[in-house]
Amino acid sequence: MKISTKLSLFYVAVILVFCVLGVALTTVLHSVSSGYDALLNSPVRQIDEARVIQVDFKKQVQEWKDILLRGQNPVDLANYTKQFHDMEANVSDGAMTLDTHVRDAEAKQLLEQFLAADDELNQKYQTAYEAYVAGNADFKTADKIVRGQDRAPTDLFDKVVLRLNTVVEESVKTQTKASSDGLKLALGIAGGLLLLVGVAGVFVIWDIVNRLARLKAVSDRLAVADISGLSIDISGQDEIAMFARSMKGVLAAIEELVQASSEETMVKS
Amino acid sequence: MGAQLIAYYDKVSREFGIKGRMKLALLTSVTSITAPEEDDSPANIQKFEQAMAQIKKTGVT
Repeated sequence: MKISTKLSLFYVAVILVFCVLGVALTTVLHSVSSGYDALLNSPVRQIDEARVIQVDFKKQVQEWKDILLRGQNPVDLANYTKQFHDMEANVSDGAMTLDTHVRDAEAKQLLEQFLAADDELNQKYQTAYEAYVAGNADFKTADKIVRGQDRAPTDLFDKVVLRLNTVVEESVKTQTKASSDGLKLALGIAGGLLLLVGVAGVFVIWDIVNRLARLKAVSDRLAVADISGLSIDISGQDEIAMFARSMKGVLAAIEELVQASSEETMVKS
Repeated sequence: MGAQLIAYYDKVSREFGIKGRMKLALLTSVTSITAPEEDDSPANIQKFEQAMAQIKKTGVT
């Protein structure tokens, strides 16, 4: 193989290595980007939904307290009752929607427990409300019915949010590990290829330099007309081998001339 | 044994003298001394034939 071909192949190989590295890094980048997009589009969004429900539930409890404290005024009672039912509907609808979005089994189970507890609590609120209205704003009787009853659903929903947070943290960890592994793999492949090309390059350079040095040694001897026992043993198909064959011809011509001269001298003598 | 190769040297020597021998050696990388050690292989015969043709065509100057 000619030196020019070897150098061209070496150049192409280096370009290929960098192309492979570029493609690999782009793939890793795309994978990381897709992973984080998926993360933002589901678990992170679910946490946002869950926090809204959490706040609505606290507002619902607050509206109930407003009913008890200020419900003796019919206008305030109607106003707080409406706001209470709005929040109640927001919590129930939000929790049911979230239940359809959540894929994590543990979070789903907690959410279903919350829905059941919330439903039970809402029935108790209704009973307490009816007692409150029937008793002419008797908040003590009404409060007795639901006192401390919101704790269990609150705790359950806190657990839902905590579990969704854990899901996001685990997803982030998985993504980080996947991107790190992908990056290591891409760099490993590119590094390995670069090492291979580097070793091949060193070998090619060593071969060229070594054969040039042998050719120079022959040339040095020809320059001082020291052709006794001189042989040119350089094989191959590249430019150095072609040059060596030319020098071999020159050496043969010199030897032939020397031989012819000695034959002529012998004939004369 | 390169009997045929030696014959080429005899022929070029008769027709072109020392310069012919030099040019034949230059073109074939085989001297008249080493010719007997070479084989009369088809490749060698072809090489010498081509060299002789070139010498006849271009001369030895």
